[in-house]
Amino acid sequence: MSADGLAVARRRWSWGLRIGVGIVAAYTLIAVFAPLLAPADPLAQMPADRLASPSWQHLLGTDELGRDVFSRLIYATRVDLLVGVLAALLPAVLGTVVGAIAGYRGGWLDGVVMRLADLFQAFPSYLLVIVLVFALGPGTKSILVAFTVLGWLVYARIIRAEVLRVRESGYVQAAQLAGVPHRRILAVHVFPNVISQTLIYLPSDIVFATLALASFSFLGLGIPPPTAEWGAMIADGQRFLRDQWWLATAPGLVIVGLGFGLALISDGVEERR
Amino acid sequence: MNRFAFIFKRLLFTIPLLAGIVFVVFSLLQVTPGDPARQIIGLRATEAELAETRADLGLDDSVPEQYVRYLNRVVQGDLGYSYKTRQPVSELIGERLEVTAGLLGLAALTTVAFAVPLAVLSARRRNGLIDHVVRFTGTVGLAMPPFWIGVMLLLVVALPTGWLPVGGYGDTPIDKLRSLVLPALTLAIGMTPVMVRSLRSTIGEVLGSEQVMTARSLGLSEGRILRKFVLRNASAPSVTILALELGYLLFGAVVVETTFALPGLGQGLVLAARQRDFAAVQGYTLVFALAVVVVFLVADVVTAALDPRVRIST
Repeated sequence: MSADGLAVARRRWSWGLRIGVGIVAAYTLIAVFAPLLAPADPLAQMPADRLASPSWQHLLGTDELGRDVFSRLIYATRVDLLVGVLAALLPAVLGTVVGAIAGYRGGWLDGVVMRLADLFQAFPSYLLVIVLVFALGPGTKSILVAFTVLGWLVYARIIRAEVLRVRESGYVQAAQLAGVPHRRILAVHVFPNVISQTLIYLPSDIVFATLALASFSFLGLGIPPPTAEWGAMIADGQRFLRDQWWLATAPGLVIVGLGFGLALISDGVEERR
Repeated sequence: MNRFAFIFKRLLFTIPLLAGIVFVVFSLLQVTPGDPARQIIGLRATEAELAETRADLGLDDSVPEQYVRYLNRVVQGDLGYSYKTRQPVSELIGERLEVTAGLLGLAALTTVAFAVPLAVLSARRRNGLIDHVVRFTGTVGLAMPPFWIGVMLLLVVALPTGWLPVGGYGDTPIDKLRSLVLPALTLAIGMTPVMVRSLRSTIGEVLGSEQVMTARSLGLSEGRILRKFVLRNASAPSVTILALELGYLLFGAVVVETTFALPGLGQGLVLAARQRDFAAVQGYTLVFALAVVVVFLVADVVTAALDPRVRIST
């Protein structure tokens, strides 16, 4: 880690960052211990108990198939948190690696990456995700592939620019003159110095990916039923808004809670740069 | 480089970009599983009928041949026929364009009307009480998915009061406007935090600038300073922010149109994707991509025409 990075690491965490980390940690714990926390099976249908109002037995009532909404909310944390984080993490990793190699080697690979970046910049990327998910068929795998295919270019571009700067530095040139293999220079001298750029952008991307995942499921293009997922629960609940308003309200509040925690982390990380 | 050379170069760059976009949209057909011919004529068709439909659609030709033919047709405004309704896709788009254009226009106006005063209030006393409140609400706003904002507006405004429709698109101009109020408000609530964040720093700079200090020392009223310097300097960045966030706005339109059952382009795209209506998905995607290209082009050209610094730096 550079001296600059050490100074950043030593600085005290802001209150926003602490609260954000706390919120996200709580969601993570809920996701991990979902089977212990949920009072009922999220997929078990009880036709006799359809659309029941909140009670001690069903804290948030039941949905139109008689499933316990509270348990579904808890289990959905697993899906939304994991897929949301992966949907941001996979493109970040791919983009960082390709950007670093493109910037270090230059040549045709660099040219291809930059032209692709120009082309995809003209597309509204979330709309392209809809189209890609359409092409691949709905499901977790399609969502992750679509986000990765469309998201890596942003990181590749940022990291490439960073690598171009680091490549000219004395220690990289010294290593090259000393005959250190390129692969080792990339891994040991270049990578650790550019990775902070990826880490700064990642938290805000996780916010967007989590909200986008819920949006796609709301549109019926994300996680297919019967898996419990917040966006899909809101779409189901909207049909009963007049009489069972809590069905659409509760999952939204849960999303806002997670989004708020992630946004606090994102702001906290940006302030520390 | 003089401004005409810059604008000309920018226009010229648009041509390969458009061809690339058409290529990406065309490639969808290649990666999508399933046989479009089978989807059009149904599962009970015989092999011979299937072969005939395939030949009609030109699916037997080589991929480059199909691309050139597709490009040719698109240039002439022919986007093919919807697999579901058998209507020309260009006609579908024409019918739905008004809704989306109205929604985006109203949403953009509402966003500016919310964001500029909030950013001014926030920037006038940095780290003051109002600034903290605005920033906190902004962070919560960023965490709210637009479709849920829409559902909540239905719950607290449309259902109890009955003043505004819970969905669909009216027939008379007044009813049309009424159907757009809540959807536009939803989009604006989602966009405002993004805009306030960017505007706050711009306005802060203007308020601390020498021209404003001079104006203050000459005894100009705060209201006049706001009108003469701050708002004038904030108008250009707000347009740029709206253009930059166009992708987000368009995705928001897709989600919000679906929430409010508005028959716009976004809802069309979602319905087509759910029904696996191939030609329609391609058509809507092209229109959205074209809109982004045109808006970026216009934004670049206008900025270059207005701001001499852009020309020097390119």
